Amino acid sequence: MTAGKAAALGGVVAIGVAALLFLKLGAQDPPRDKARLSELGRQHKTAAALYNALKKQAHGGKRLDGNALPDWRGVYSRARGGITFDPDQAPGAPPTAKLTPEYQARMVTRIEMAKKGVEWDPISTCAPPGHPRWLTEPFLREFIVTPDQTWLINEMVNDVRRIYTDGRDHTPEADRYPLYDGDSIGFWDGDKLVIHTNQLKAGIYQRSNPDYTDQVETVEIWQKVSDTTIEVDVWVYDPPALVEAWYTRQSYARLSDPDKNLRIRYWNCGENQNNAVIQTQEGATAFKDLTFTGKADTK
Amino acid sequence: MIKATVVAWLGASIVAGTSVPVAAHHSGAMFEEKKTITVEGVVKEFQYTNPHSWLIVTVTSKDGTVTTWGFEAEGPSTLQRAGIRPSDLPVGTKLTITGRPMKDGQHAATWEYAVRADGKRFEPREGFKVK
Repeated sequence: MTAGKAAALGGVVAIGVAALLFLKLGAQDPPRDKARLSELGRQHKTAAALYNALKKQAHGGKRLDGNALPDWRGVYSRARGGITFDPDQAPGAPPTAKLTPEYQARMVTRIEMAKKGVEWDPISTCAPPGHPRWLTEPFLREFIVTPDQTWLINEMVNDVRRIYTDGRDHTPEADRYPLYDGDSIGFWDGDKLVIHTNQLKAGIYQRSNPDYTDQVETVEIWQKVSDTTIEVDVWVYDPPALVEAWYTRQSYARLSDPDKNLRIRYWNCGENQNNAVIQTQEGATAFKDLTFTGKADTK
Repeated sequence: MIKATVVAWLGASIVAGTSVPVAAHHSGAMFEEKKTITVEGVVKEFQYTNPHSWLIVTVTSKDGTVTTWGFEAEGPSTLQRAGIRPSDLPVGTKLTITGRPMKDGQHAATWEYAVRADGKRFEPREGFKVK
């Protein structure tokens, strides 16, 4: 090989490595279409309006069965974001939601109190996280796709969201009551599952993240984008707390499990007394009664 | 034997939310944020439970005083992902374990990492890594 050819080959290899590195790093960057998808949320004043627009665009959606159903098998976990709702929230930066003054103040107070050691998480009593916080929990997940329902499973407190894709509508408004995971209906647009969820219970997106009210609703688009990754575009609407729809992209990675050790087991949150905590009068968290401490020292 | 004690902790802030704290179902504010304690002892019990597991360790000081410590980690599936199985730490296992102690002085701490007598290291938070 001549020196010129070697240099050219070296250049090609260098460009290839740089491209691969860029792609790898890019996976950790905010989605390039975040601005467009955020704007899509702003164009529609309610979650129902966005969902209906997406359904119209998909010509009503399609019922999938047999081989047309996507293969979402495997055990997954959240790929990005730690325990912040928006995976693109920079370390040390505030959440990316545009909050109303009341909910901005509420969040700031909660963060300031936490810095002083006064923090209480509503799931400390073993209540489910509830949706949309459900999207952020860092534990094992399975996604079961069937023609009429898709089950989105988070192992934490055996939490299953059922997404009805059989054409049914939401529960009539007069009969709705707040639910941890709400009422979810959806349709397939090709290999994308589009979901509208309402009838939710108030909660928090995560500790050090904002609160949401029982008027919160979401639209999600789930899609498997590679052999090991499922991405979810999420728009949250919550007029009392959000000035505009909060768009985020969540992602879940299929975990390597060559020995088939990863299994979702029944999660009994109350099985160990050492995990029981109480809220103190000032609002902090304290263990109720650790069984192994005390003045049991002996000589 | 109680070994040394408090050293600087290099982890992330529990408030910043940049990493998953050890206490996923309750606040971790009852634990020290930047201090750690390291003890040598033997495993008394490994409570492999949800939402948190506890490694109960018996520590004997030079003067013969016996103290029981509890070290809190995540639940079974996260420990599985970190390669920590019940059979790795049976009763009587000698180890050195490091955690962030409780602010109120109770003999409890987060389980940051443990090193068995044969040198094998066990770090529960490794279970959150996606691989």
